Amino acid sequence: MISFRSIFSRIIFLHVIALVITAIFMPLVLYYFFKWAANDLHDQAMREQAELVAHYLVVRPDGSWTLELPPALHDIYSQAVGRYAYAVLDDSGRVLFSSLKDRSPIFSADPRSSDVAYLETRRGNAAVSGVSLVKEMDGRSVWVQVGEDLAHRDVIIDDIVADFFKRVGWITLPMLLFLLAIDIVIFRRALRPLLNASEMAKKINPNRTDVRLPPEEIPKEILPLVQAVNQALDRLEAGFRMQREFTADAAHELRTPLTILRSRVDTLADRGVSKALHQDIEGMARIISQLLDIAELESFSIDPHEKADLRTICAEVAEFAAPLALAKGKNIALSGSDAPVWVNGNPEMLSRAIRNLVENAINYAPPGTTVEIVVEGSGMVRVLDEGPGIKEEERALIFQRFWRRDRRRTGNAGLGLSIVQRIADTHAATISVENRPTGGANFSLSFARAG
Amino acid sequence: MRLLLVEDNEELAQLLTQRLQAAGYETDVLTTAAEAQTAVTTTRYAAMVLDLGLPDGDGLSVLREIRRREDPLPVLVLTARGGLQDRVSGLRSGADDYLVKPFAFEELLARLEALLRRPGQLLGRSLQIANLAFDTESRQAFIDDKPQVLSARETAVLELLMRRKDRVVSKKLVEDHIFGLSGDVASNAVEVYIHRLRKQLSERGAKVQIHTIRGVGYLISEDKAA
Repeated sequence: MISFRSIFSRIIFLHVIALVITAIFMPLVLYYFFKWAANDLHDQAMREQAELVAHYLVVRPDGSWTLELPPALHDIYSQAVGRYAYAVLDDSGRVLFSSLKDRSPIFSADPRSSDVAYLETRRGNAAVSGVSLVKEMDGRSVWVQVGEDLAHRDVIIDDIVADFFKRVGWITLPMLLFLLAIDIVIFRRALRPLLNASEMAKKINPNRTDVRLPPEEIPKEILPLVQAVNQALDRLEAGFRMQREFTADAAHELRTPLTILRSRVDTLADRGVSKALHQDIEGMARIISQLLDIAELESFSIDPHEKADLRTICAEVAEFAAPLALAKGKNIALSGSDAPVWVNGNPEMLSRAIRNLVENAINYAPPGTTVEIVVEGSGMVRVLDEGPGIKEEERALIFQRFWRRDRRRTGNAGLGLSIVQRIADTHAATISVENRPTGGANFSLSFARAG
Repeated sequence: MRLLLVEDNEELAQLLTQRLQAAGYETDVLTTAAEAQTAVTTTRYAAMVLDLGLPDGDGLSVLREIRRREDPLPVLVLTARGGLQDRVSGLRSGADDYLVKPFAFEELLARLEALLRRPGQLLGRSLQIANLAFDTESRQAFIDDKPQVLSARETAVLELLMRRKDRVVSKKLVEDHIFGLSGDVASNAVEVYIHRLRKQLSERGAKVQIHTIRGVGYLISEDKAA
């Protein structure tokens, strides 16, 4: 058995086989029935002829037999025609009359057991088929035999059968094609809801666990599979939700004690210690909020119609980051386009990406320098600093989670740039880093301009 | 002034109460959403500080109920989550401001003052940065408690900056504030006033610094170097 991956080809294949078998056997069966019917007709005709011959059989008063056939009937049995023949035998098997020249019986075997027998024999090259009929006359039995040379009859039968194929047989081919076409239509219609379901299934990812396969219009036979898949998705979604909630809960549990710690530190008499502890708390708070950002990004999916103005976002980021920069003895500046720069994306997410780049730059810039944010009309944001720059061999590493150049520094988990990378990925944006001619780093984020 | 603090963490609630008291606020502390719900209907508070994670339900439901009754009570939300959705739903439910934990107490105080200073609310005290003070009622600046003479526009710029101490004031806002809708403003007019103000303050020994955030705006802060 050929194994098909596709149900469609499997059914078509089996259907074609079934049709071919039917197409071959149907004419054979019909042919058999034709032959049977023709034989039956022949037998009846023979019997009637035998009755007719018997009708003209007369017993004389002296006990001898006479057979006087009318001329029309006589002609049928003439040797010139050669198609039909008759013979009359008495109960001892002696031939009384025969249309054959040699006055021989048509059927040598004479079954006396029944009134009528349909028999076949061979005479020379010809097959003869006919009937042997018992007639009771004057208390004596005679056998009237009538036969027909089948060579003549077969011509007609063959004609009929050949004619049947010519007139009726051709229908099987278009019927076959028509059934194939119907098969294809049925399958297309039955499979359409499945294709729709597959389209839906393609949309499912860790960020879109709310998608379910539509059970409407799904064929009854496949519905259990679809339902089972949906139930499996329900369980997965619950798992994902628990994981997300865990992160949010963990953040909550960490942040409240951190707030308490911070308040206590404020009340310390030693301002120097208090300041140092404050910085440590800032660092911890930053890591917690980055972990929360990452957890949120895992379940974030962008609305394709959402638009954001890079110019406004960068101005907000600069406002937000300015106090941080100033507290570290650095400054921040915004330049580039004065007009709004609309790009496709979620404003809050873009803001987080740019904020992380800016915070990163502030961390690495030497005191007294300025971190510059440049908004370009093409949909690109550059963040320039005057720090040490990024070494060629580190450029691929810096976007990985938890990567840090200097692991001895605390308050920096190496999450910022991985968040930027992840946001860039969800927005189909490109992120690149190079060093400025003066030595600082130049990060650029390039977004698709909104149409 | 009486504040309502709804915070289920006893330790934090106690610390905040102490410090709020030191800053001159009487504070009632409640630990559940149900208690808060009752308290706001029976007592008039100047403002409420509401933690979102409460043992008997979401703090947001308390907030929605207050806003449903069209109670204008200023509400400052404290949240440990600070996620995008949490912030949006917090502000939509009628919070006037929010702070993400862990916050600096000074930040909480500053936000509360800003809420209480809003139209219809009692005006706060004078604004103070290092040795520079500004009385919002008499619109008078002081350095080391000595009154200073400044022009009307310099005074306006100084007040604007001091109201947002340690936060950026956009150049556009300064422009609108000093020139109103009078239209034609020379592109460098704001820079000129800032420059003059900066010079005046430093000449008179104010320990503050007005930073220029190029392309964004200005920020006044204590001059740490001084």
